[in-house]
Amino acid sequence: MTLELVAIFLASSFRLAIPLLFAATGELVSERAGVVNMSIEGMMLAGAFGGAIGAAMTGSPLLGLACAVLAVLPVALLQSVLTNTLRANQIVTGIGINILVLGLTTLGYREFFGARSRTTIPGFDAWPVPVLSDLPLVGPLFQQIGMAWLAIAIILAVGAVLTMTGLGITLRAVGENPQAVAKAGRSVLALRHGAVLFAGIMSALGGAFLSIGDIHTFTEGMTNGAGYLAITAVIFGSWKLGRTVMACLLFGAATALQFQLPALGLGIPNALLIMLPYLLAFLAVAGLVGRQTAPRALAQPYWP
Amino acid sequence: MSVASRSAAPPRLPPGLAGLLLPVGAVLAAFAVGAVAIMALGVPLGEALTAFWRGAFGNAYAISASINRAVALALVGTGFVFAARAGLTNVGGEGQIAVGGVAATAICLAPGIADLPLGLAFLVPLLGATLAGGVWGALAGFLKVRVGTNEVISTLLLSFIAVWLLYWSVQSEALLRQPMTSSATLPESLPIPVTTQVPLLTGSYSSPVTLGLPLLVVIAAVTALVLSRSIFGFQLKAVGLNPVAAARAGIAVGASIVTALFLAGAMGGLAGGLMLQGEQYSLKAGFSSGYGFDGLVVGLLARNSIAGVIAGALLFGFLRSGGISMEMGASVPSALIDVLQGLIVVTIAGAAYYVDRGDRK
Amino acid sequence: MDGSGIVTETVVPVPGTRAAAPSLLTMNGIGKSFGSFVALAGIDIDFAGGEVHCLLGENGAGKSTLCNLVFGIHRPSEGAMRLKGEAYAPSGPSDALARGIAMVHQHFSLVNELTVIDNLLMGGSRGRLDRKAEARRIEALAEEFGLALAPFATVGDLSVGERQRVEIVKCLMRRPQVLILDEPTAVLLPDEIGSLLTVCRQVADSGCAVVMVTHKLAEIERVADRVTVLHRGRVSARSDRPAEEIPALVSAMIQRPAARSGEAVVGAIALAKRKPAGPRPPAGEAMQLDGVSFDDRTGVRRLDAVTLSIERGEIVGVAGVEGNGQSELGAILAGLARPTDGRWFAGGRDLTQASPREITRSGVGIVPEDRHAVGSIGKLSLADNLFLNRMRQFSRLGLIDRRRQMEKARDYIQRFDVRAAGATVAFGSLSGGNQQKAVLARELTTPNLRFLLAAQPTRGLDIGAIETVYGLIRDAAEEGVGVLLVSSELDELIAVADRIVVFYRGRIAGEYPADPVHREAIGTLMSGRSA
Repeated sequence: MTLELVAIFLASSFRLAIPLLFAATGELVSERAGVVNMSIEGMMLAGAFGGAIGAAMTGSPLLGLACAVLAVLPVALLQSVLTNTLRANQIVTGIGINILVLGLTTLGYREFFGARSRTTIPGFDAWPVPVLSDLPLVGPLFQQIGMAWLAIAIILAVGAVLTMTGLGITLRAVGENPQAVAKAGRSVLALRHGAVLFAGIMSALGGAFLSIGDIHTFTEGMTNGAGYLAITAVIFGSWKLGRTVMACLLFGAATALQFQLPALGLGIPNALLIMLPYLLAFLAVAGLVGRQTAPRALAQPYWP
Repeated sequence: MSVASRSAAPPRLPPGLAGLLLPVGAVLAAFAVGAVAIMALGVPLGEALTAFWRGAFGNAYAISASINRAVALALVGTGFVFAARAGLTNVGGEGQIAVGGVAATAICLAPGIADLPLGLAFLVPLLGATLAGGVWGALAGFLKVRVGTNEVISTLLLSFIAVWLLYWSVQSEALLRQPMTSSATLPESLPIPVTTQVPLLTGSYSSPVTLGLPLLVVIAAVTALVLSRSIFGFQLKAVGLNPVAAARAGIAVGASIVTALFLAGAMGGLAGGLMLQGEQYSLKAGFSSGYGFDGLVVGLLARNSIAGVIAGALLFGFLRSGGISMEMGASVPSALIDVLQGLIVVTIAGAAYYVDRGDRK
Repeated sequence: MDGSGIVTETVVPVPGTRAAAPSLLTMNGIGKSFGSFVALAGIDIDFAGGEVHCLLGENGAGKSTLCNLVFGIHRPSEGAMRLKGEAYAPSGPSDALARGIAMVHQHFSLVNELTVIDNLLMGGSRGRLDRKAEARRIEALAEEFGLALAPFATVGDLSVGERQRVEIVKCLMRRPQVLILDEPTAVLLPDEIGSLLTVCRQVADSGCAVVMVTHKLAEIERVADRVTVLHRGRVSARSDRPAEEIPALVSAMIQRPAARSGEAVVGAIALAKRKPAGPRPPAGEAMQLDGVSFDDRTGVRRLDAVTLSIERGEIVGVAGVEGNGQSELGAILAGLARPTDGRWFAGGRDLTQASPREITRSGVGIVPEDRHAVGSIGKLSLADNLFLNRMRQFSRLGLIDRRRQMEKARDYIQRFDVRAAGATVAFGSLSGGNQQKAVLARELTTPNLRFLLAAQPTRGLDIGAIETVYGLIRDAAEEGVGVLLVSSELDELIAVADRIVVFYRGRIAGEYPADPVHREAIGTLMSGRSA
């Protein structure tokens, strides 16, 4: 394995992890508050679609990003109202939304771009970090677009909010014992709505990274399971931020390795690498890797 | 882990009429949205509906294909209802179908199987597919009992693992991939021998409804009877409603959970076997695509009634076939069917609150 | 009545020693109905700053409802409240909190996974936290009222008493004008009760009105400035000198003269003391515990080498403050937990490792303390619950013979006086008393019944149902069943049991014949002191 290959591998691992980092961080916050969003997949797809349309119409990737968030908000709102206000089954709702969004984005895409065209969409340029990006081996790691640095900034901010602020404590409490939060005079519904909307916005960013950040095009169903992978990262990360981030990076590396395999000439089956994240998460929830502690009120609707 | 398994259970049996009106209303509302969407796309509604009709009911082949699809969905949906009775949400239908397909292919292609007499040539692989799916489901049940893993998470993860196992098995010559004779050899298995194919009811490929249909009718009838009248069904219900009280009453809670998920998985596996041996005849990546989630949706739509499962499966079976035809005949993207399906699911999940509210004091 | 300051059956408050203190909160003509059930009617009451005001009454007298009205959980059906002269109609708990009313609930509202300090800060500030500074502030507050706290301990690791302290500090942080405590001592050990009462006094002395719900007279004696007695939703007496008027308060509480000889008071009824059985039914051992110990998941010893044997036809009462090992013993006898050590037998069979089904088959009936969570399935029908553990008797080729089941269900419903609209109604729709009768029906008809565990069988029941339940249990004993009766109501045990063992911290602290003369001694043992 040449040094150059290692450098490319490191950089692409990071790059492939970025959409997961966005979505998983959002989902982590939501699950900490007690809501599982299977619809992360659909929200990412809506974000990718909104971002692509926005960027193509305005010519500005930044406005595209805003469109991505706008496109996801109704989806996140739907998920939140259904599961929190109407107390619908969170899993079923999420899967329904995924089917709905897949259909809507496919329809919309054909309307806007015509069937099967692969329009290139204006995207972000790389935002290399001075000095660091010139380093050997790890240099390519620091040649990412601005969104990558945004992801890291958001993760740090979320970490700080979760551990160091009153909001963080309350958010965590609402996923463990919502009744206690209600008795403390805070609205369980408001907190959970907020958490789901945050997950939605983060998914929008993750999805937009796919369409306008990374490959500069939209294809039907382009998230292709990335949302489920993000949920898997939260599970594998045992509902802790640091571990979830590590899980995303690991999953990114597994994906990167798939593309590098031919170059490396390793005899690892491609399918095994794709399966690896799910397998690891499965082993984790099976109790074979560490101890998992999900929030106590996860997926339980709140009844006052 | 103690993720909410109780609340993950699907909505409860509705009191009477509301339970029937809800899905019907949701479907009608979704159709209305669909009609508006078709017009918004600039396609004359009549033209689209004609194309839909042709695809869904136009000829014997179309009807047969829809029915075969409905059979697979109904099997997965029946399994979902079975697990739901024990308070379990099986979201692993997709993987259970995949595992069933892989097992069926492997057995069909195994030496000697094609020469078995008395229909065993197709029955043995079907049985293998059923068992494989069952084991895949039971694995989640076992984990729930031993480690407390939420079955929603484990069946979902197992589903992804199974789908990629299938992908792996058609990518690797060491597994099920047909011998690579050229670089153009497709990543799929060899076609299964004719004797291992599930017989067609009419015997003609122009109306290819398979033996799966009568099989489903029997399974559905037995399931309905078991769930409503049998001791076993009663025990599942008790476990689903209150596992502690069920345990105190001497019901083997762990065994009930494993059995319920085994049966749910088995029906998914059987669906996979039927799809492979009755329709596709060779294993390809993406073999199970969409069937599992559609089946889950059918189970949900049915709100725990087997008759509802059949109705929902037929609806979705014909919807899909008609949708494909609409795309080809009237250039209405078949994604519209996804939209309708998504709307139906979301509406029913959300409205369950109003129907089930009476259940809670 | 005697010539004390007790005012019975009137609603006119009599001025007393502390009545000069300004009224903080007044309730005028308050009534509360739930459907057709009248929980409170015509309540006039005032709470003054600086006083500890105890609400005394039996279960179901309306004490908790009254607290919930003040804290905004329920809204009164009639009448009005005033806080410091202003109209007070809280729209919910957060409104009540904002107006300076705080409440310590019977069930704590703490998040076990968080630390003490995070629990205290939860729901409060939104900005960045300085936990160290907050901890100092809270420690100062806690010290002011004599509440020791470890701010950085995880709540899940604390004892019940410590958790209650966290709850109280949480309330005090808001500097409330009125602090309500709903049966705060029910879960506490005796020494913890003492310090809680001291805290109540100190909080009152700081100018706050402390409202404490209790039905323990000893606490009233120690801490109450004023007492209002509730009986069936009405004020039945008030006292400004409660310590001197205990006997009158008791009779106002139960609305009948204090116990005559030969009777023991059970709630508001009197069960005739069980006559010593004449010719005993064929004696023999019904159940035996041999050094049974149980450690919970965290390794804490909940049961410690309990040895006990019960003869057939004998009723043995287990007395003790809740949480002293009774629940664990119940779980072991039900087959839902395995002892860490020791063995237990029924009818000569070792059932230590037996499954619930094997236990039932050995002639053991279990009335669990939590009939909703363990004893029944509310969404199944009454008929299904009557045969929850014996459905197989109706099996025909694996299918349930509903006709036979219904026949037998109707028979049970009649025999055990279960009042229900029919055998097919949902079990959960029955009243508590009828649910318990149905559970008893099932357990008492266990084939070859020789031992019955009845854990808190009368909890939440009305008087009529209590009588029926004890009548059924006594009939079973007459027919030769050995009964282990666990109850937190000592008077019930004295009335019903033959002898009483006292549980304290998972051990049998002592044993007495069930005679009212030992009441005092048993109470002492329950509190952990030696008699």
